[in-house]
Amino acid sequence: MKYTPKPIPEGINVTPQHPLLDFGYLIATIVLISALIFFSLGWLAEWLAIKISPTTETQIGQMLLSTTMPALSSNVLQTDPRLDYLQNNLLPALAGKTQPPLTVHLFDDDIINAAILPGGHILVWTGLLKAVQSENELAFVLAHEVAHFKHRDPLRMLGRSLVMLSLLTVLGIGNNQSLAGLPSLVSQTGELIGLQYSRQQEQAADEEALSNVIQHYGHGGQALDFFKRLAEKEPQRGGELNISRYFSTHPPTLERLAQLAQLAKVRGWTMTGAITPLPRW
Amino acid sequence: MGNFLEILIFLSLLALGYFAGRYFERKHYKSIRLRESQMLYIPLVTFGAKPPWPNAKEAKLFVGCVVISTDYFKTISAGLRNLVGGRVMAYETLLDRGRREALLRLKEQAIEWGASQILNVRLETSSIWGAEGKQSVGNVEVIAYGTGIKE
Repeated sequence: MKYTPKPIPEGINVTPQHPLLDFGYLIATIVLISALIFFSLGWLAEWLAIKISPTTETQIGQMLLSTTMPALSSNVLQTDPRLDYLQNNLLPALAGKTQPPLTVHLFDDDIINAAILPGGHILVWTGLLKAVQSENELAFVLAHEVAHFKHRDPLRMLGRSLVMLSLLTVLGIGNNQSLAGLPSLVSQTGELIGLQYSRQQEQAADEEALSNVIQHYGHGGQALDFFKRLAEKEPQRGGELNISRYFSTHPPTLERLAQLAQLAKVRGWTMTGAITPLPRW
Repeated sequence: MGNFLEILIFLSLLALGYFAGRYFERKHYKSIRLRESQMLYIPLVTFGAKPPWPNAKEAKLFVGCVVISTDYFKTISAGLRNLVGGRVMAYETLLDRGRREALLRLKEQAIEWGASQILNVRLETSSIWGAEGKQSVGNVEVIAYGTGIKE
């Protein structure tokens, strides 16, 4: 048998597919499937989260508070006339009795913001108290957070964040160091609480807040002035660090104002009235 | 900020893996094709274990061995492939290069010795892992061995 050398054919054992195309296809598939799982599980988690009993919510709130508070690195004011006023005067007037009860935590910092954690923990920064010019303005901001609480939005968000973190952990892109550690999972969820609520949740909270403020004062005058001032500053947002903080957790102000004005028109609410000044502190 | 940095590092490693990996792969393939055509004249066959080879005056075992590493891009790509299943195309070129390079090294030694044929050629593959864990970069070792004979 004679041996005749023949050229070796190419590409038998290598698929003629560009590696980037293959990579793109993989990424797209995985992102799509993860998104599907995330949304369906997230929906399920929300559905379950709002079924949590007030007692359990209190416990979750305690756990989150103990991890969130040190992470905020702002000074917590334990005894302060402003805290007393918020907790014992303004809040009961706006929210009444709730289960679990609402607790205000006042932070000594120039950040203009307010937030709510599960378990009825309202976080208020003193920057907000300096930025508002009347009680009506402050009441609206506070009532907005209370409305989130009543709609159980923080719990929904917690459910969603837990699903997201679990998925990230399963995919191995989350916290690699302590996969098994539940405490780290919970603390990270606490950080994720700072994520945005959906537009619908924000709008619903706005509507209930305005309705509550009107119930309390008899009119909606001045309540939205704080937002009007924010809206004026909105274009130069970049320079205003403290204000941008508020935008990072809340949707664009102009849109919200327009929606509220429309709502007031439809419901026939009085949008002017006597101003209620802030107490002196 | 920390997350952003992590993503940045990840992306630059990915780009490094892709561009460097592709560059070296092309260079390697070029050299493989050239040497293959140069050494094509010597028969390399898989039979010869059992049948007698009366013309052979002398015989010697030759081993060609090569270790080839994946790059970051390939590792990630294959890792993603692990999730959905299917052909791991990212590693196909790696193994193809390994097998061809091992055979070439086998041939080079045999030619130097003066072999007229290489019989009963076999290929073995094993994986070498840098460290335990998903993130380590894998290496593949390919060994080709056969009997060179002088007629």
